[in-house]
Amino acid sequence: MTSHRTTRAALIDLGKPLRFTFDGTAYQGFEGDTLASALLANGVRVMGRSFKYHRPRGPLGAWVDDPNAIMGVTLNGRSLPNCPATTTPLEDGMQARAVNAWPSARFDIKGGLDLFHRWLGAGFYYKTFMWPDWHLFEPMIRKMAGLGDISRNVLEDYCADQVHDHCETLVIGGGAAGLAAARAAAEGGQNVVLVDDKPVLGGGVHQLAGVEDFAPRDWVASEAHAIEAAGGRILTATTAFGIFDHRMVGLVQNGPFGTAPRLHRMRAARIILATGALDRPVTFASNDLPGVMTIDAACEYLARYAVLVGKRIGVLSNNSLADDKLAMLAEAGAEVVRLNPADGAICALGRKQVRCVAQGRNSHKVDTLLVSGGMTPLVHLWRHAGGKLDWCTERQAFLPGAAPEGMVAIGAAGGTFDLDAALAEARAAGSGVPADAIPSRYKLTPLWPEPGSKGRQWIDFQHDVTLKDVELAARENYVSVEHLKRYTTLGMASDQGKTSNMAGLAAMAAVQGRPLPEVGTTTFRPPFVPVPIELYHGHHEKQLWHPLKRLALEQEHREIGAALGEYGGWLRPGWYGTGDAKAHIRQEILTARNAAGLFDASPLGKIEVIGPDAEAFVDFIYYNTISTLKPGHIRYGFMLTEGGIVMDDGVIARLDRNRFVISCSSSHVGSVRTHLEAWRQDGNDPDRIFVHDLTDHWATLTVAGPKAREVLTDLALDMDLSPTAFPHMTMRETRFAHSPLRVARVSFTGDLSYEMSIRRSKAAELWQALVAAGERIGAAPIGVEALSILRAEKGYIMIGKDTDGETMPHDLGFGVPRQKKKVAFIGDRSLHSVKANGARRKMLVGLTVSVGDKALPTGAHLVEGTPLQSVGYVTSSYDSPTLGHPIALALVENGTERLGESISVWHMGETRMATISAPCAFDPEGARLNA
Amino acid sequence: MRNDSNKWDAPAALTVGHTENGVALTPIELTRQTLISGPRVLSQADWSIVGWPGIAPTPPYALSLRRDRVLLVDGPDMADGWQEDTQRAISDASDAYSVFDVSGDRAFEVLQRGAELRLDAESKSVARLLFGIGVLLYRVNTEDQFRIHVASSHAEALVKSLKLAISALRSAGQGNSRPEDALSKTS
Amino acid sequence: MQIFPCPFCGPRNETEFHFAGELGKERPDTTQEVAAPDWATYLYAQRNEKGPVREVWMHLTCSELFVMERDSVSMEVVGSGSLREGAE
Ligand SMILES: [Zn+2]
Repeated sequence: MTSHRTTRAALIDLGKPLRFTFDGTAYQGFEGDTLASALLANGVRVMGRSFKYHRPRGPLGAWVDDPNAIMGVTLNGRSLPNCPATTTPLEDGMQARAVNAWPSARFDIKGGLDLFHRWLGAGFYYKTFMWPDWHLFEPMIRKMAGLGDISRNVLEDYCADQVHDHCETLVIGGGAAGLAAARAAAEGGQNVVLVDDKPVLGGGVHQLAGVEDFAPRDWVASEAHAIEAAGGRILTATTAFGIFDHRMVGLVQNGPFGTAPRLHRMRAARIILATGALDRPVTFASNDLPGVMTIDAACEYLARYAVLVGKRIGVLSNNSLADDKLAMLAEAGAEVVRLNPADGAICALGRKQVRCVAQGRNSHKVDTLLVSGGMTPLVHLWRHAGGKLDWCTERQAFLPGAAPEGMVAIGAAGGTFDLDAALAEARAAGSGVPADAIPSRYKLTPLWPEPGSKGRQWIDFQHDVTLKDVELAARENYVSVEHLKRYTTLGMASDQGKTSNMAGLAAMAAVQGRPLPEVGTTTFRPPFVPVPIELYHGHHEKQLWHPLKRLALEQEHREIGAALGEYGGWLRPGWYGTGDAKAHIRQEILTARNAAGLFDASPLGKIEVIGPDAEAFVDFIYYNTISTLKPGHIRYGFMLTEGGIVMDDGVIARLDRNRFVISCSSSHVGSVRTHLEAWRQDGNDPDRIFVHDLTDHWATLTVAGPKAREVLTDLALDMDLSPTAFPHMTMRETRFAHSPLRVARVSFTGDLSYEMSIRRSKAAELWQALVAAGERIGAAPIGVEALSILRAEKGYIMIGKDTDGETMPHDLGFGVPRQKKKVAFIGDRSLHSVKANGARRKMLVGLTVSVGDKALPTGAHLVEGTPLQSVGYVTSSYDSPTLGHPIALALVENGTERLGESISVWHMGETRMATISAPCAFDPEGARLNA
Repeated sequence: MRNDSNKWDAPAALTVGHTENGVALTPIELTRQTLISGPRVLSQADWSIVGWPGIAPTPPYALSLRRDRVLLVDGPDMADGWQEDTQRAISDASDAYSVFDVSGDRAFEVLQRGAELRLDAESKSVARLLFGIGVLLYRVNTEDQFRIHVASSHAEALVKSLKLAISALRSAGQGNSRPEDALSKTS
Repeated sequence: MQIFPCPFCGPRNETEFHFAGELGKERPDTTQEVAAPDWATYLYAQRNEKGPVREVWMHLTCSELFVMERDSVSMEVVGSGSLREGAE
């Protein structure tokens, strides 16, 4: 194994050797190397296998453009799949393994697939595995597909830090143009941020002999120093991966291997794009052999890492930039054989790496073949921001055209490939002082894929798309670039077609005999380079993904063994006690029916409507008439959408002439508050109505059950609890522990019930008093699950469970306001539509089953007719501990006119019978409610 | 119907402060918070009105929330309801919000992790989203003491987010080598 | 990530806002007879224009309901104003 490391001064630290392995073999590199440069220095050529044919592959590029060298890397027990070797900085102790290759990239067992390439063209899988059924073949094909293996070890602390930031001028790219522009802008007094994706600034500058009388690295250092001295900030190892609306730029800042990168959301008043250009590969036979590389890549390996990729190098270039670069390679000791594209198509020969290049009758023994088909400006970010592209015939490239607001492209990204011109342009852009453009000296002869030519010629290296695949796609009429992309998967690999898109477009243009710009480009979408999904979510995961609201009494509930769960955005006790949940819930129900249940109802809405127009406003908001309500009284009502659909139900209490409190459902507080605010400001006088959401100020505890009054009596509140003094649907205000206490006689169980609201900080004191008082008469805490069954026994509904997107109030048995209410209210007109008066409306009913039958499945369909049709469904169904038999609620067509009828209930292929009944199965006379 | 008790950490005692990386997160006990709404509430000059990035004086002060609403901090005890003479709706909201201070040289960096914040972008309202959670955010006493009021039921989530952001300061500023350093490392 | 200008709070991130509807929807007076087609138009008809639009948005953190002019293609925001007459 020969070393390819030269003595050229580069950007690696020879004083810091690093050990690493690749496919099990130990190698050495240096601080400053990438995995790819270190392997090339060690003479390793084959670094991966292609996706479809398992062809041996080596790096084609030296940075983000490389499609080939993809590795799984492990360091200190942390494994990451699909790391591009060309952009992964080498660290001591790294273990790298080629993806898509077993046992190693050099000896890949599946390499035999390449022998079948004739049958594996574009669309092969679609066409071949259609019959008899794709699903028969899918598991086998899925197993063969895909890159890298994901480690089973979860990286617990792999959490991306996310920062918001802003600047006046953001310069993207730290090459010659970017540095000069950032310096000019910073020295002009602007708040500047310069980002560069490499660990060391300078872009391609390090390849040059000198810049403006400086050695390249001295020039880079002095520019960087000047930028910082003028107050500019520089972020290296930071990639601008996307530009989003209003110049929000996503920056991913990479740290050491295995740590989550940091996301900067950078809002820039102005963006200077200095992202440079890619040297594009040339399409010829066997152009995918390891050892075939772009000229620019070879020069980067030499300039940055002191790696001379070959000793005897064949070169094919169609443009004027090659000359200086070749001199650099020759100076480093390479023997260079130049080939002229005008002398005909070339062909690379060799098995696991290039050994020879043939052109016509001539052939040359080479160990490396460098190519350049012209420069492709990196315009991805320009397109993310909505910039246009113009085709440039002289450069045979798409260049930035009409600019997005606040954005400019300079240097190679703008098609300016000469250093002097790029610097002049950059300084003009940075300072805002215009400069004369220096004419381009860049010369190029078009060199594009030639349809019909011989050999296998790769267009997309990572996804194994060849020129023949593009020709096949054209024959099968996938001629739109977007269809071409999806049919052949061209440009859909992890490199997102950085090297293949132009060749693909050119091939399609040539096949159809159309000019290239007419074929157009595919859409450029973020991210520019692959970024981990963790970057986007940051710490918004696990408990912070959708943080639940927390009760004041959570600790008290936990202490008595509450099983907590999410109910309507809150973490609430579902039941209390470990072990058999159903048994606990059953016991809680019996406690509530025989003594009393203590329930934490704090999430219930407490939205106050205050002001001189409050009365008229709640009349407009509610389906029911509220204005007739007297202070101290409570009414049950519905809020509707303008479509007449029930949006929320609950009680509203009148505190005084100008003040109401709306007790909406726990899960609807946010939407009801927004609904009230919107209508308050649109169509009403917002100076006379105010909406205060005090849900979080008040905790609400409920005592429900036949012995509820005994519990309250024990609290020794200053109030008369007798049914005549304090009847059902009234509210009283008193004090507890020196704080205001609101007591409402409302019930969601059908039993005597008191709902008590007190400020959150006093909730524990009230709860403890209730528990202590309750213990004496056999009352105990109950959870949401018990309450759900208690209310269903009584036929009380839950909006969204027992109603759906078509349910109107008259479907629930509340038809009076629809007929009688005179003032306007939300949804009123919709209640008189043809549909609202239709003959087959689904109405709320109860369902009973025969003695001994099990509970009906929730969601089961009620069916009838020939052929069978669904006429409704079961919305709630439980075993009722109180009644000793199953109960159910359902929505069924014309249900209220069909009480007593039998109906078939269908579920998962089974049919049972049930009888339609009234929704209320418990205490229909309401004696217990009014007790 | 699931027991998810173990998926959610029991609420941390929010009475305890937390200091890390030079930033302190301190719970604040206020005597009273009162919601006051009315057509002229911002011009009725009873209290100093605080916006963003205002620095609140010693209480009482009134946080400007909307064009017609303030939150009065440590004001007098007032009766809830509609006040006819001043045309104000008044509600005691003392327990509606939990209150914290985030202070220290790098306190603003912590907050920038939760929102696109700028000290040079004035706002008449102190209400905004921080880490996706509704808060009232302003300064008290000094330039680097930030005060946050958050709905009590969301305090746990906000404190968790703030603690993570404070921890993240440790690695910030590392990782991106300054260019001279990167170049000087080479021989 | 767009920046929207709340007429009261000033420029804020789009995550603080909620679309409320196209500007110009007048609620019919439902105490009078409203023809079914008129009500249906009120409920369901949207102009859904491409290009410059005038819309009603709510700034959720301050509850301000306001009018915003923007371009539905370029995402450029032209300006915003209070829904209330006379308010600044
Ligand atoms: Zn606002």
